[in-house]
Amino acid sequence: MARERETLDVDVLIVGGGPAGLSAAIRLSQLAKARGGEAPSIAVLEKAREAGAHLLSGAVLDLSALAELLPDYRALGAPLLTMVGRERVYFLTEHRAIRAPLIPPPLANHGNALVSLNQLGRWMAAQAEAAGIDLFTGFAGQEVLLDGQRVIGVRTGDRGRGKHGEEKSAFEPGVDIHAKVTIFCDGVRGNLTKQLRRTLALGQGREPEQFAIGIKELWEVAEGRIDTGTVMHTLGHPLRHEEFGGGFIYALPDRLVSLGLVVGLDYHDPLFDPHVAFNRFKRHPLIARLLDGGRLVRYGAKALPEGGWNTVPRVHADGALIAGDAGSFVNSVRLKGIHLAMRTGMLAAETAFEALQRGDTSAAALSSYQTRLDGSAVRKELEPVRNVHQAFGHGLVPGLLFAGAAMLTRGAWLGDLHGDAGHTRMRTLRWYYGIDLASPAASRDVPPDRVLTFDKVTNVHYAGTAHDEDQPAHLLVHTEVCTSICGTEYGHPCTRFCPANVYEIVRDASGAPRLQINASNCVHCKTCDIMDPYGVITWVPPEGGGGPQYTGM
Amino acid sequence: MKIAVCIKQVPTREWQPRLTDDRTWIREADASFEMNEPDAYALEEALRLREKHGGEVVVCSAGPARVQQVIREGLARGADRGIHVDGAELGAADGFMVASALAHAMRDEAFDLVLTGLQSDDQGHAQTGVALAELLGIPHSTIIMDVEVSEGRVRVKRELEGGWFQWVAMPTPALLTIQSGINQLRYATLKGIMAAKKKEIRSVTPPAGLTPGLKIVGLSLPSKSKQTAMIDGAPAQAAAELVRRLREEARVL
Amino acid sequence: MILVVAEQRAGALNRASWEAVACAQQLASGEPIAILLPGGGDAAKTLADAGVGEVLTVQDAALASYTPDAQVAAVAAVIAQTTPRLVVMAHTYQARDYAPRLAARLRTPLVADVVAVKGSGAAATFLRPMFQGKLVAEVAPQGDGPAIVTCQIGAFRADGVTKGAPAAARALSVALDAPSRQTVEPPFQEARQAVDLGQAERIVAVGRGIKSQDQIAVAEKLAAAMGAEIAASRPICDNGWLPMDRQVGSSGQTVAPKLYVALGISGAIQHLVGMKGSRTIVAINKDADAPIFEVADYGIVGDLFDIVPAMTAEIEKQSH
Repeated sequence: MARERETLDVDVLIVGGGPAGLSAAIRLSQLAKARGGEAPSIAVLEKAREAGAHLLSGAVLDLSALAELLPDYRALGAPLLTMVGRERVYFLTEHRAIRAPLIPPPLANHGNALVSLNQLGRWMAAQAEAAGIDLFTGFAGQEVLLDGQRVIGVRTGDRGRGKHGEEKSAFEPGVDIHAKVTIFCDGVRGNLTKQLRRTLALGQGREPEQFAIGIKELWEVAEGRIDTGTVMHTLGHPLRHEEFGGGFIYALPDRLVSLGLVVGLDYHDPLFDPHVAFNRFKRHPLIARLLDGGRLVRYGAKALPEGGWNTVPRVHADGALIAGDAGSFVNSVRLKGIHLAMRTGMLAAETAFEALQRGDTSAAALSSYQTRLDGSAVRKELEPVRNVHQAFGHGLVPGLLFAGAAMLTRGAWLGDLHGDAGHTRMRTLRWYYGIDLASPAASRDVPPDRVLTFDKVTNVHYAGTAHDEDQPAHLLVHTEVCTSICGTEYGHPCTRFCPANVYEIVRDASGAPRLQINASNCVHCKTCDIMDPYGVITWVPPEGGGGPQYTGM
Repeated sequence: MKIAVCIKQVPTREWQPRLTDDRTWIREADASFEMNEPDAYALEEALRLREKHGGEVVVCSAGPARVQQVIREGLARGADRGIHVDGAELGAADGFMVASALAHAMRDEAFDLVLTGLQSDDQGHAQTGVALAELLGIPHSTIIMDVEVSEGRVRVKRELEGGWFQWVAMPTPALLTIQSGINQLRYATLKGIMAAKKKEIRSVTPPAGLTPGLKIVGLSLPSKSKQTAMIDGAPAQAAAELVRRLREEARVL
Repeated sequence: MILVVAEQRAGALNRASWEAVACAQQLASGEPIAILLPGGGDAAKTLADAGVGEVLTVQDAALASYTPDAQVAAVAAVIAQTTPRLVVMAHTYQARDYAPRLAARLRTPLVADVVAVKGSGAAATFLRPMFQGKLVAEVAPQGDGPAIVTCQIGAFRADGVTKGAPAAARALSVALDAPSRQTVEPPFQEARQAVDLGQAERIVAVGRGIKSQDQIAVAEKLAAAMGAEIAASRPICDNGWLPMDRQVGSSGQTVAPKLYVALGISGAIQHLVGMKGSRTIVAINKDADAPIFEVADYGIVGDLFDIVPAMTAEIEKQSH
């Protein structure tokens, strides 16, 4: 028996309880308090079971935005793990690590703090709740509610549907939340922002979005292996000249080490597997020596927006604003996005607050967000490096040269480079290898040893990801492609780029391929939605509350 | 009916152990917490009983400030108010110590029914509920699948070994530990979450003089090393040898 | 003196009571063991004949059918009379029903679900699982009263009991002053809708190596021959080849039977966390590197379709 659909009316709805959304919420409550009188009603939706659970990053935090939002952040107990100490940049070959004589300025982190984004998110959520804001965890934004071209709110996902879509006894239909302004902070390749982009053509006139995948592990290492606060970045091995990205190793207190590999989701090789590359990274002597005798604590993966300033879409519409990773506000050269998420969240909050006061939340009124962004530290930081990722599209060396030039000239005299959506750059097997079918040997890797390196299934266990098994699969795939042309054209790359073994090709008795989706392994990284060469995979949120548990990540 | 539900906050199921340096407890800072799942079934049963018979459901939990999370969740699912026995040492205490703290806070409320889960997913002593019944001086029954309430009495279906069951009746007030999985757990609605913020949570100081009955000398990961006896040979011989060893050595057949 | 409380139903002794005796013998450092059988009857003689210690019985109308009130009163009275140093029983449904109340009444610690004992005598400590088997805890009871220890079913070996010359059985008289507040009806059996693998003593589990749904029959024949329940790793249940309540693993059930036979299961960690507490694990898999072999006590690298029928035949042969 279906229960009636709940509705809720608020002044501001914030979708996403990450650094962007929580900064927006906190800023709104500060503005309301300063003005006095009745505060606007604010709701924050977060699909995870608790704030922070789906947040993952390296991370080295530029403290400037936090200082602006909460100047007394230290007194409030902000979870800064340690300040950055020793810094190193290495160029790796298969066996050697060549140390760069100086730290390239974008990678210089002196004065920044090492944090766990998961912990930071939890702390920020506590600040928001202390300010009286309603944070609804376990509620996933399923659909943007529109009235013509105006965004009037969001509908959350149903809860309590069985595998075949049937209503179970505790079934609750999704809630319709109506808001005067909705601030979309639904993260990298956010499913609602994606809907908005399509419906309102927000990407028109901008460069196509570009992404990378970051795979990260948290390790407990032996005493004395590395000094707390050490920040290391690597280039080169295991990535080739045609692959953009690099590795990071951050030494946290309590013998914990955060390490990972970031790879651009625009590689040519259809058989490239980011997880295989990550295992190769770990086997490099520089890292293997560090991890020897240690213990894996946690694993996770997430996509990140890499395209920069020119790929930021129109971020305002009637009744809507977009902030954080959802708006592609990430500095891919500095490898930093958290402070930009916070800043854009704050600017969106200021815009929304002003619009509410004037009683006008139209696109015209909300376009002051763009004005604020243009005059802000966000633009100052992102505009000079706007072409860097696109330059790497031409290869490692051109990219580095370009990045250097951009830095020196602050990007002033360089025109805008054109980029391509990453999944279009994947070449077919025939183009790349001259073969028609992926042979097992082409996966080119050594089996994991289960001490230093692990297979995806084991790794995913350490992401703590859990979903109610009895629900519809949340990955929508047009599988005709899987069974017809994908095998010969690309060799089923979804089975490789997914870091969680969600996609498997099983063969039936006659050898015909069938796509098996292990939906409950999903860590919500969005790589599949981004990278599949045919563009036939759509990620929608599973039932609220499900997903990874990125404690300490 | 006035129904109390005792709920424990425990590390999440997906949590990977990290121990304190002296190995006598876990590193709580590294853990995420949630409502003990067996207690969630007790709460669901309490809410259903209130729907049938009217009355009030009160969620009780003992532990440090963080346990307010599960009290709030109980309120969000529909409980009317909460009691928090606020003591930092209660989070890791043994069942009798926790039961003593709870009894101290609950005694004067005169509940008709007290429901708990059948054990906690962290320490798993399966003790707190039954000990609480003794401290409150009320009858109890455990691992209950079904509850029938009548005037001043309750008749419950108790689970026994091997697919056996038994109906037991007793006067109220009574305490029941509830079997897991007997009902579908309801979700907390948005309205429920918002309303929970306005519901009362009474904070109680634990009584003086509580002492632990059990001391954890050390925690360890279960030893991984196993001597695997690989049995070689042609299938028929290997099979026969395996059966022999299972019979004579391992004695499991 | 260590007091073991044995359990019976309808005159039949619960086998787990012998495991409690084995545990008590391990704990005893030169002290005698006594066994209490509430309700008395024929089972008392079986206990007495084993010669492990003095058998004590208490009889009362209130003990004819088990109720926690009467049980607690009776055992508490016996403890007051006999002043044991420790009280040991098996961690059965019944023990879970009354032992915590008994401990609370006596204000003594309860150490429940013990899997091993370290040392003996007054300094003995107890090992028990915590955090759903993720950790093992070594605990020490505090205070002077007789601690109550319940041992996990199957952790101590009933056949490890050292027997002796038949002893006597002695009836104790106790006064159960208050009537039991519980009224019980006779127990009954019910066909369960969902399988409770957690109760099974033996489990035969199938994984991807079983290849197709109809070939599960090979495993089912083995299970029937051994008196085992069928279970499966996730892919099998995902395919719908077996219902979800047969799934063992992090997204299914956690089991710890006496015997777990893993057929064609690779041993992904998600499956292992659901079964590695099993006492004896057998793995049969074509792949010598499969992680399942790391947790197995016995392993055969080979084709399960050759090995399993041979096992079934062997077991059936010997039971005739």
